[in-house]
Amino acid sequence: MSFMNHIRTVAKEALDRTSIIAKFLCCLHFTSSYLCSPTHAYGPSMLPTLNIAGDVVLVEHLSPRIGKVGYGDLVLVRSPLNPNRNLTKRVVAMEGDTVTYFDPLNSDSSRNAVVPKGHVWIQGDNIYASRDSRHFGPVPYGLIKGKVFFRVWPPSSFGLLDN
Amino acid sequence: MKKAITVLRNMGPFRFAIKEARETAFLVAKCFCVLHVTDNYLISPVITYGHSMLPTIDATSTIFLTERISTRFGKVAHGDIVVLRLPHNPRQTVAKRLVGLEGDRITYVSSRLSKKKKKKHMFLVPKGHVWVEGDNKYNSNDSRSFGPVPYGLIESKLFWRVSPLKDFGSFWNK
Repeated sequence: MSFMNHIRTVAKEALDRTSIIAKFLCCLHFTSSYLCSPTHAYGPSMLPTLNIAGDVVLVEHLSPRIGKVGYGDLVLVRSPLNPNRNLTKRVVAMEGDTVTYFDPLNSDSSRNAVVPKGHVWIQGDNIYASRDSRHFGPVPYGLIKGKVFFRVWPPSSFGLLDN
Repeated sequence: MKKAITVLRNMGPFRFAIKEARETAFLVAKCFCVLHVTDNYLISPVITYGHSMLPTIDATSTIFLTERISTRFGKVAHGDIVVLRLPHNPRQTVAKRLVGLEGDRITYVSSRLSKKKKKKHMFLVPKGHVWVEGDNKYNSNDSRSFGPVPYGLIESKLFWRVSPLKDFGSFWNK
């Protein structure tokens, strides 16, 4: 009989501990999806702003929801070519603009494009080694996940990322 | 000093009410949490209206249940009815049928009834994109007008019909 009671106390304590962990994960998930989350950005496409070996940056998710993404913002965008990958690029033009861009790998002259309604034109800072809107076209605004605003790692470049 | 003590003594039942309000608030917050997680990651209801999916979906407002699990893992196939965000208006979502996946070659006829000669178009769906069309070819604003849609804009897949009650039931592979 006392064995059953013992099990009952242990089960109750396990449930309490699990509920605390569940509440913590809830809060973490809420903050990570709707407020601020870290992401690892690597590759040569954003030199010299971001390092080639990889930076850990903080992304805030409020701005795209309220439409506060504008020119020169570093954004985290879901890749239109591979929905499981996120890209970190800079917004160069908004809807309605005519973009004059230069793609040194494909042609020698600059080309024009008009950004349609509801889309943005994103480019990496390093135009020689970046796959961006010059290759896959303007990106729908709905694919923008957040705005990059702070760099956490490496510690030597800890701080706000400006335009 | 005496007034302060009287005030504190009268706060007794007030303190109990505050405690109970806090407990209720936490319970409401927990319920909201569970509801939110279910809505964002599992099953979410939608209300559809419009003519673009006749005869499969009526023009009157209909409630459906959509699931987000298959779209998260990429398990969508031809013929599924999906809810997606419009590429040129990120605040609007529509329900259309998936007609082409990446790599498919789509042949479609221009939908304008006024044109005497209907022009035939051919299109190759690029990588990472899908082609959606409404079942009502004459009155549907779909990929034939706004082009292929990046897969990242697909939100969920219709699988169950809720209203009207006589049509309550599975909506799979309609």
